[in-house]
Amino acid sequence: MPLHDESLPKNTLSYFFREAMRRMWASKRTSFVAVAMIAISLFIVGAFLLVAENLGRAVARAGGTSRVNIYLNSDAAPQQIAAVDAWLAAHHDFASRRFVSKEAALARFRQYFANLSGVVGQLDENPFPASFECEVTPGLAQSAAFAKQAADLRAIAGVEEVQFDWEWVEKLKKLINLVNLAGLAAGGLLAVAAAFTIANVIRLTMLLYREEIDIMRLVGATERMIRGPFLIEGILQGFIGAALAVALLFAAFLAGRHFLAPQNSLLWGFLFNGFLPWQKLLALLAGGMLAGYLGSWLSVRESGEEA
Amino acid sequence: MIHFYHVTKRFDAYSTALHDVTFHIEKGEFVFLTGASGAGKSTLLKLILRQMQPTEGQVVVNGRNLKAMKRSQLPFFRREIGMVFQDFKLIERMTVFENLSFILTVLGLPAREHKKRAYAALRAVSLHHKLNSYPLQLSGGEQQRIAIARALINDPLVIVADEPTGNLDPDLTLEIVQIFAEANLRGSTVLIATHDRELIEQSGRRVITLDHGRITDEKVAVPQRAPRAESIFGIGG
Repeated sequence: MPLHDESLPKNTLSYFFREAMRRMWASKRTSFVAVAMIAISLFIVGAFLLVAENLGRAVARAGGTSRVNIYLNSDAAPQQIAAVDAWLAAHHDFASRRFVSKEAALARFRQYFANLSGVVGQLDENPFPASFECEVTPGLAQSAAFAKQAADLRAIAGVEEVQFDWEWVEKLKKLINLVNLAGLAAGGLLAVAAAFTIANVIRLTMLLYREEIDIMRLVGATERMIRGPFLIEGILQGFIGAALAVALLFAAFLAGRHFLAPQNSLLWGFLFNGFLPWQKLLALLAGGMLAGYLGSWLSVRESGEEA
Repeated sequence: MIHFYHVTKRFDAYSTALHDVTFHIEKGEFVFLTGASGAGKSTLLKLILRQMQPTEGQVVVNGRNLKAMKRSQLPFFRREIGMVFQDFKLIERMTVFENLSFILTVLGLPAREHKKRAYAALRAVSLHHKLNSYPLQLSGGEQQRIAIARALINDPLVIVADEPTGNLDPDLTLEIVQIFAEANLRGSTVLIATHDRELIEQSGRRVITLDHGRITDEKVAVPQRAPRAESIFGIGG
């Protein structure tokens, strides 16, 4: 029999899985702690990813066009409104325009923010200004020539404010990066903590099975054969934790969409636009398995025969 | 097959288990190792399985110098040795079948072979009806025989047994020694550590006697014409 054959026997993998599952079942409580840690960590990462994903979708929808909103003074005279309209008509970049009256703005708010419409109803007068909404091409909108025209527009009597939506799109993009970063930082830290929890759980399991491990060594089991079930146990704990996190996240998403985002509400609607794409769900599962593997690897690498 | 060259094993300055031990066991031999408790028998067996390393000297088993052996080679070396431990070393949470099957998994035998082999090994120790029992449900003697079945399951080159008949009644002792004798006939080299003076004296085999870590006697026992001896060693000669 060669002494250098390090390959694993054919039926080893099924042995690893059987043993890993049996040991997890035998130490249900400690395994539960490890699984819960992974689930909590990945739920938090997933929640950040979900918010960022939906913000990203909102940005993508706005990405094709740029809009300029020209808000008028609340006491703007009809002649002043007509003057603004004439100025816009004379400038090709603003040619595609739509007038939104104070009443139309209020009606739109009531439609989109149904749950806040009561607050507006308590006010003595309509707080929304009339405005012109102009579609402009995004490239042109950010040019120096266009900035000059916008400054001219601001100087027209009756114009309160000229607002460009690419400004909030830019802000939103920064927010998405921040959310992603915060999610990765918080989730990363928790995942490291989860990996250490798994490491301790595996270490505990190895202590419980110390005598058995010694017997395995004496009858000729390789270190791979001995460590394999523990590594699989860590990976399984990570996988179960990640699957639990995805399931909880989906349940939270459905509940949020049901209770917080009625169809016409913009306030929450954009946050519950859609769930995570399958690539990110797979990444969460892979992340859980990786954390589990690293945790168990940290434990098993310390074990070994002293002789 | 088993060669000790001036082997000394010291645990600390005041505790020396073996002093300058030299002996040779050739391939196919059946040898008894005897001596009082604390004589160094178990330490000697542990050195053969490389559970520990000698402080001085060399141990060579099946042509391999154990001191020079890499750790990664150790499991493959141990698969060549069928070891029967004094405390059985059965895995308590596994059934008798699983205890035997595990060895076959380690050796890479397909799962369909396991039941056949395990059954045959258990039949040899008359415990084939205990396939699904757990070690703690068995008597000491039965556990001993399971440990023997495990050691023999892959027809090892060397069989090393530490007091394998210690928990057995005289009838079972005969049966078990006969199993070792049969394995010896099939080509395994056998080394048995035992206190059983009667068994040794009746065997007609070579006996190495240890006393306080030193070999004090090495001779071939002269078989007595007693019924017990004939029934054990009649087959092996």
